[in-house]
Amino acid sequence: MSNLAKFHAYKKKTPYIFLAPYFCLVCIFFIYPLISAFILSFEQTNGPKSRAFVGLSNYAFVLTDPDFHKAVKNTAVYAVFSIFLQLPISLGLAMLLNTAKDKTKGFFRLIIFSPNLVGQIFVGVIFSVLFVPRYGLFNRFVQSLLYWGLENRWLENPSLVLPAIIITALWMYVGFNMIYFLAGLQSVDKSLIEAARIDGANPWQVFLNVTLPAIKPVATFVVVMSTIGSFQLFELPFALLKGEFGPSGSGLFIVSYLYSMAFRAGDLGTAAAVGWILTLMIMVISLAQIKLSGTMEEGK
Amino acid sequence: MEFPYGKAPFWILVLAIITGAVMVMSQKFTSAGRPDLVFVVFAARHYEAYQKLIPQFEKTHHVKVQLQQVHQRPLQTRLQSALLADTEVPDMVEIMNPFMGAFMKGPLKDVGFVDLTDRIKAEHLDERMVASRFSIWSSRGRIFALPHDVHPAALAYRRDIVEELGIDVSKIETWDDFVRIAHEKIVKDLDGDGIPDRYALDLSMPGTSFFPLLLLQRGGRYFDEQGKLTMDSEITIDMMIWYIHQSRGKDRIAFPAGEGQPFYKALSDGVVLFNFVPDWRSKVFEMDAPDLKGKMALMPLPVWEKGGRRTSTWGGTGLAITEKSKHKELAWELAKFLYLNKQDFSERFTMLNIIPPLKEAWNLPAFQVPNEYYSGQKIGQLYAELAVETPPDYVGAYYEMVDGKTREVLVDGGVYFEKHGDEGLREYITQKLKLKADYIRRVMNRNVFLQQQENVDVNTPQGVTE
Repeated sequence: MSNLAKFHAYKKKTPYIFLAPYFCLVCIFFIYPLISAFILSFEQTNGPKSRAFVGLSNYAFVLTDPDFHKAVKNTAVYAVFSIFLQLPISLGLAMLLNTAKDKTKGFFRLIIFSPNLVGQIFVGVIFSVLFVPRYGLFNRFVQSLLYWGLENRWLENPSLVLPAIIITALWMYVGFNMIYFLAGLQSVDKSLIEAARIDGANPWQVFLNVTLPAIKPVATFVVVMSTIGSFQLFELPFALLKGEFGPSGSGLFIVSYLYSMAFRAGDLGTAAAVGWILTLMIMVISLAQIKLSGTMEEGK
Repeated sequence: MEFPYGKAPFWILVLAIITGAVMVMSQKFTSAGRPDLVFVVFAARHYEAYQKLIPQFEKTHHVKVQLQQVHQRPLQTRLQSALLADTEVPDMVEIMNPFMGAFMKGPLKDVGFVDLTDRIKAEHLDERMVASRFSIWSSRGRIFALPHDVHPAALAYRRDIVEELGIDVSKIETWDDFVRIAHEKIVKDLDGDGIPDRYALDLSMPGTSFFPLLLLQRGGRYFDEQGKLTMDSEITIDMMIWYIHQSRGKDRIAFPAGEGQPFYKALSDGVVLFNFVPDWRSKVFEMDAPDLKGKMALMPLPVWEKGGRRTSTWGGTGLAITEKSKHKELAWELAKFLYLNKQDFSERFTMLNIIPPLKEAWNLPAFQVPNEYYSGQKIGQLYAELAVETPPDYVGAYYEMVDGKTREVLVDGGVYFEKHGDEGLREYITQKLKLKADYIRRVMNRNVFLQQQENVDVNTPQGVTE
């Protein structure tokens, strides 16, 4: 074989050889577990010696389980608040910082982003102390502000648990999403804004007709990521509620339900079924969001 | 000769080979240096105590024992996962009650721990130890762990404030007496802001062991001796109504003091005067609130009816030997050495205030020593007297789930009571408990392995029960 033919043969193989490690890792840590989990979702297991095929029983159980319904409801409420409360605040802060002077911008960006530097477990533990009745800093702050709430049992009252989790998540994630919005805002073409102003557009009209369409891909990305993050919520409420799922399951989310099935009830088959249901839910919701925002069409 | 894909891939390949080789070698060295026994505990104080004792055992038996400490929740989940995946597990583990139940989901042959029933009977430990303590380590009549403790519960109270209020605790015989005195003398708004500043009892709604503790004292439990679900019994309903009355609404006598620093602040400030304190917690008080030395005292729990049980239990540790251990007999020897070692009982009590389940140890001088923290009371003697009255509890595979569901009803009942008062409360709780119990029964009935076991082992020999 001539040197040229050898070179061409190498050239053909090269991409596959470079892709091989990644492909192997994906097969071992993604494809294989995915298929295993799918098979497992039709079984009941109790260690390697005991496996029993149960058909669709695990799926049927999960879909009719009131606890799962509660978990889906809590997750959906949390996701809605993430999108309609967290994201507007993040965008507002990003816009404030975008207009701030260069010297102060970096400082405030760090301050607002810094809660995200600590882990969810740490934040959960800290807030579990802040929400303590009578002595908790949060209760004292609310009491001094509204003359009410000193003995509020944020983590013991079923109707207050979800607000407590949303408040904690707000503190933690607002800064994180703000960074994305800030990056989007900084890439908006300034000449378009100037042109709109010259044409007589007020700040609200500029925001609505120039800024928002310009940051639409970033906004869609943040919305999709926030939704996925909301559906995967686990560590924060788990730490906040000290390894429990809140009174009357008020802090039960889909992943917490999966965890409790796998590690509390020891039912890996049902947990695998929950995993698959969750995957399908995330896929459907994410696709719907992308479709509704029109990002996919624009990208074509 | 040049590597065909350039220098970078060559060095990546070299690094991969070197790290792979190092990993294989290190694994070989690790397995070569594996001790004869690996023993995992979750309690820091147990770890410290065993660290002192194990060298003596190693010397006598010419073996090497590796002691590890892992937090209780990861210990349970990792062990459970390792047993399910059939991977390497330690030879011996200390498990906390009620996590043992999680291992009992399948047939007895799949429990993953050595059945200790015959060994326990051969050593007459079923007679020498507090019999009720075997119940929490048993499944379908077989015992899978050796009990470390009894954990009888008493009430620890702020003696200084209680005496100042003119309360004679010796006259508090029943819980009715307790509630009456709490209303008359304890619960008060001291600064006139409309919020009480002093409460009688620490009762949190969710996430605590207070409800099952009181339920056990009253004679109720989640499962009966045969493993039948009894969470929706009349006793549970009565207990729940009592608990809600004391912890909710304007006539409540209890405050949820929580745990950690907020709890000790509430205790130091005199916000709560009486607390449920099993033997282990009495030492935690000593260590975490040293400023209350000489201001605290202990008393038995008030009874539910005259002549009733004066104690209950909270927590428990058991030592189990894994089925996969290659040195089961040696592990059993170490278990006996650590749990039946009379020399250690005195030191353990001094270090931890924990009463051993071995009755013959209670006469040791260490248990008669007055405790300065608890106003000079002989707390060892008090706990030993209560230990024999400790109620049995039956912890099945679904115990945690039942406990969680019961607490859900407790919380919902509390919310109902705050909205509607007593009207319809009993019916509401009865209906809710029934719903939850039906749910658990549905979950239990789905377990094909337990169903098979029940069909096969109808005449399972019974172990030790009260």
